[in-house]
Amino acid sequence: MLLEVHNLTKVYTEKRGLLPTSFEVEKGELIAIIGHNGAGKSTLLKMLASWLLPDSGQVLVDGIKLKNRMALVRKVGFVPETPNLFDFFSVEYNLKLFARLFQIPFLRIEEILKEFNLLPFRNNKIQVLSKGLKQRVSIGRSLLADPPVLLFDEPTSGLDFEMTKEIYRLLKDFHALGKTIIFTSHRPEEIQTLATRIIVLHQGSLVFDGPTQKYFQSEIHEKLYLL
Amino acid sequence: MIRNIITLTLNDLAIAFKNKTIYLILFIPFFVFLSLKLVDRTDTDFKKINIGLVEKQIYAPVILQTIKSADKVFTISRVPNEEEGKRWLKEKKIDGLLLISEKEQNSLLLVVLKKESLITLSIVESFSALQKAAEGNSINWISDIKPLQEGGIQKQSLPTWILMLVLLVSFIVMPAQVAEEKEKKLLLALLQTPMREIEWLIAKLFSGMILILIAILFLHLLGNFDLGNGLSYVAFIGVGSFCFSSYGIFLGFLCRNQASARTLGVVFYLPHVLPSALSDFSEKLTAVAHFLPSYQFYEPVKSILLEEGRISNLYPEWIYLLLVGLLTFSFACLLMKKRWLM
Repeated sequence: MLLEVHNLTKVYTEKRGLLPTSFEVEKGELIAIIGHNGAGKSTLLKMLASWLLPDSGQVLVDGIKLKNRMALVRKVGFVPETPNLFDFFSVEYNLKLFARLFQIPFLRIEEILKEFNLLPFRNNKIQVLSKGLKQRVSIGRSLLADPPVLLFDEPTSGLDFEMTKEIYRLLKDFHALGKTIIFTSHRPEEIQTLATRIIVLHQGSLVFDGPTQKYFQSEIHEKLYLL
Repeated sequence: MIRNIITLTLNDLAIAFKNKTIYLILFIPFFVFLSLKLVDRTDTDFKKINIGLVEKQIYAPVILQTIKSADKVFTISRVPNEEEGKRWLKEKKIDGLLLISEKEQNSLLLVVLKKESLITLSIVESFSALQKAAEGNSINWISDIKPLQEGGIQKQSLPTWILMLVLLVSFIVMPAQVAEEKEKKLLLALLQTPMREIEWLIAKLFSGMILILIAILFLHLLGNFDLGNGLSYVAFIGVGSFCFSSYGIFLGFLCRNQASARTLGVVFYLPHVLPSALSDFSEKLTAVAHFLPSYQFYEPVKSILLEEGRISNLYPEWIYLLLVGLLTFSFACLLMKKRWLM
């Protein structure tokens, strides 16, 4: 197993968050975590990315525990909902800063810029870019160290139809390259043809975990989204 | 580790440059320098006393003769009347106004701006010496006055400005910078790299210390101030910038966003700067200020710059600042590991 989650829990003071949750992920899966706002999707992803410290439970990524952040960051790339880039600086500066910290040769930056069609924008400041472009820079940054697991928190939030299609195309491309991808969404119909597996969270609890086709035939989908 | 610290420090300084913080760092010493230039009119070691005499009043010839003969000490300005003389005094065109006393015959009334000022003391002392010389009295009991603290207003107020600069960077700039990185999730982005928490903290500390040193250096370059005992001065500026930068980073970790960091910064800035800077004027404030790290920085800096103090006599204060710095740095490290308000 590439990713093992055992009884992972995080409860906020307002009684929201994630109740004890367990699941396993094999290499090469493309998983969508769906649920309404406040279901615990982002909390789960942020814990997997070491952004949040869990109250209890354990996570193993390729045998590495969450506490071993230094090793974990080379295994897991995280793209947050809102791109968190240094606005004052250029696309290239942002990528170079993170490449230095990862001790990755700058040649990789050229690859990323080319791969994400960012070459014309390399000297543009982040603050003048559109949200779609910022998201592309953010995804490119998460791929600098070429991690086997990629986490996307609401990757299409606030994007127009064209950019949403572009992001989903990228996810498919990464999947084709053998990456394991987990992303969150609150629009299940959009990811019907994309995800190979769906995990449904409702009020902090895992209520469904199975193949995409099975989910859309299940009562859960009907109860949560159709009624 | 060193490579990461250098990368992050340079990144912090680049941010300070891009978000115009560096202009604040340079503008404040420049503003201080300009103000001091306007305040300190002449060389304070010795300047002639400008005495105003009312044209229509009839002064005793012996007094007039004596004052005129002491032309190295006094210059005389004639004023048309008493009212005009008082106006000149307020406008600082003259240092004192001599009037014929209405209460006692053959005696004078000296009108000054403030009774408890240095210039008043100087006038009274000079007149006393002239009177004794004219009347052939014996020599003064006190032959000279030696101040404990050397220099004029520029130099006397330098420790206060240094304290203000250090605390301004530490309590206003640093917490806002830390909170901004938290608010925009930039710190979390950096924590997605194999960078240790301590590396980020050291880099932030260095950038704070560098900003403080730039501000102080700029003030010294503008004013060409004497450093006193250079090595002791550098040692205290170093430990002070370490202590207060750590303090500022710690305050930044207590806040979720920039707005609250600025508020908290001001809440800490004023109680640190005012009691220490005003401690010279009040016994009560001195008693209160003793408990503040700002006072443990201000007093040694004042002692080094104005009283020829040396670090060998100031070890307790130096160690105190170092300990406060280490303590607040440890708290900041703890809060960062806990991902406090991130």
